[in-house]
Amino acid sequence: MKSQLLASPGQRVGTSPGQPPVPARRNPTRGRFAAQHRRRMFRTDMLTVALWASLAAALALWLADGGMSSVGNLTQAVTAVGILAGLAGMDLVFLMLLLAARLPFVDGAVGHDRALEFHRKLGKPALYLLLAHGLLLATGYGMAEGLNPVSEAVALWTLVPDMWLAFVSMALFIAVVVTSLVAVRHRFPYEFWYFVHLLTYLAVAVALPHQFSVGGLFAEGTWQRWYWLLLYIGTGSALAWFRIARPVIATYRHQLTVRRVVPLVPGVFSIEMSGLRLNELSGNGGRFFVWRFLAPGMWWQAHPFSLSAEPQVGKSSRQPTLRITVRNLGAGSARLASLKPGTKVAIEGPYGVFSTAARSREHVVMIGAGIGITPLRALLESTPFAPGQATVLLRCSSTEELFLGDEILELCRKRGATLFHLTGPRSANTQSAWLPASAGTSRLRDFVPDITDADVYICGPSAWPA
Amino acid sequence: MRLRAGISAALASAAILLVGWQAGAQVTESNASAVTTSAAGNTAGTAGGTASGTGSTAKGTTGSSASGSSSGTGAGSSSSTGSSSSSTLGASAKAGGTYAGTAVETRFGTVQVQVTIKAGVITDVTALHLTDQEQRSVQISARAAPLLRSEVLSAQSANVQTIGGATFTSEAYLTSLQAALDAAHF
Repeated sequence: MKSQLLASPGQRVGTSPGQPPVPARRNPTRGRFAAQHRRRMFRTDMLTVALWASLAAALALWLADGGMSSVGNLTQAVTAVGILAGLAGMDLVFLMLLLAARLPFVDGAVGHDRALEFHRKLGKPALYLLLAHGLLLATGYGMAEGLNPVSEAVALWTLVPDMWLAFVSMALFIAVVVTSLVAVRHRFPYEFWYFVHLLTYLAVAVALPHQFSVGGLFAEGTWQRWYWLLLYIGTGSALAWFRIARPVIATYRHQLTVRRVVPLVPGVFSIEMSGLRLNELSGNGGRFFVWRFLAPGMWWQAHPFSLSAEPQVGKSSRQPTLRITVRNLGAGSARLASLKPGTKVAIEGPYGVFSTAARSREHVVMIGAGIGITPLRALLESTPFAPGQATVLLRCSSTEELFLGDEILELCRKRGATLFHLTGPRSANTQSAWLPASAGTSRLRDFVPDITDADVYICGPSAWPA
Repeated sequence: MRLRAGISAALASAAILLVGWQAGAQVTESNASAVTTSAAGNTAGTAGGTASGTGSTAKGTTGSSASGSSSGTGAGSSSSTGSSSSSTLGASAKAGGTYAGTAVETRFGTVQVQVTIKAGVITDVTALHLTDQEQRSVQISARAAPLLRSEVLSAQSANVQTIGGATFTSEAYLTSLQAALDAAHF
């Protein structure tokens, strides 16, 4: 059923479905969020430029070394392309590592999920380039020595120091990409994939010796060697700092312990945690942390969950608390229901741009489905809007699944947001599959007439918003 | 926004590639002059070596940039290879003298060295021919050869570390040197 629970001041109630909406287009480049939005877009563009520039720089290393003058015949051309493929492939590997390094600059500009999505997209091109590097050089060197590529590869393995490490590195890269392909990944538990993924660091490390000893481009005393070394050191330190040091520091700083586990409906529960200096985390409602509950048999499992409430600090005189709301979806999250108060919690984060940082306009629309409703509650609590400028749509299959529905209703009433509940089974009509069957052929515009001039936050199963 | 990013990225990349290209062109030019001088030096060295009366040989390779080197060594020698000279010189053994190693083929060209032994001590190592098949390898071998020479002189054997970034040159250099030392029964 579609029900508008709260009408906002000055807004028409119950727009009849099918009526052509009149989008009230306003200039999106004005208002308090516009400058913030422009800055974020600028940073995104800077990242795009930096990405391409680094690739160009890798190729320019070879050009600056007089590479073009060494290409005279087919053999040399094959060798040259092989070298370039290696440079470009390795540069992509560096970019992939940096995208996965949780750099705050990247996270703030494009968000954690888009950074990882791009990380995944680079996987196959990087592998193809590295494979091409190996094959073309075996062919090119083989042509120069009158050997076929296979005997040349054997000769390289056995005769040239450090080359066997390069072969090992290649095998590891292949293993990492293959286990990361979606089809393969679903056959293995997450932990297996994660373990294999850690081999990337080994692959990158063992690829280093042959680059510096066999690769003439990075010979001792060349500036190219220093550039390449800086890439290695820079990427390594970024990973060490942001993936290891920062989480450890945050864990010690906030000293989180489980305070209590509150069941909402069967299979869904909130975990409340108390800790220190939680005021430093305010404004992060809706963003997610990676949680590790340090209890026997659980400590090695990392759970990414969003906050379902702004950190509660100070005035209410209670202990400062953080809250997440979890749906029992797998073996790992099922065990969380039995967490005992006092369990220590390690955290990484906050990550993501599901927060005010992503705002660009005055009007805001929040759409959540299922357990995806819960981060909206935290966002609704913190993101600024004037009464009447926010619309909240909650989609779930039954009223029982309106997780934290009462709290959201209360918040909407207090802050002057329009609230719709969309409950019921899925519609058969694929055109409006995101709506319950009872809503007929309603469209988003029927709920939010000026959606083209609003920031829309959507949180739900990945198939649902499509 | 995406358009702006795309254009900026394309411009930045093009600029970087252009700078690289220009730097490369300059490197090539300066290398060309460096090659001529180092080749001239080589010629003098090997000419001196061959003039010392060993009758040793260098394989007369052709190569555009190292033409000075090959013509210099070619002048005083026949076309026989190092192995034959080592057999003839093997007899004179420990007294000392100058011995040429085998010519070792690498993917970047031939490497052959000659060792001078006096009273059981390696006093000099001269490169008769170094890798020269690509612009880059001339540069690399020109840098690696003096380092290898000084390491060999201090180690008094062919058992020294290869030079980073000059693996092929180093390996071939040391192989040729070992052959020369074997020939000298050193």
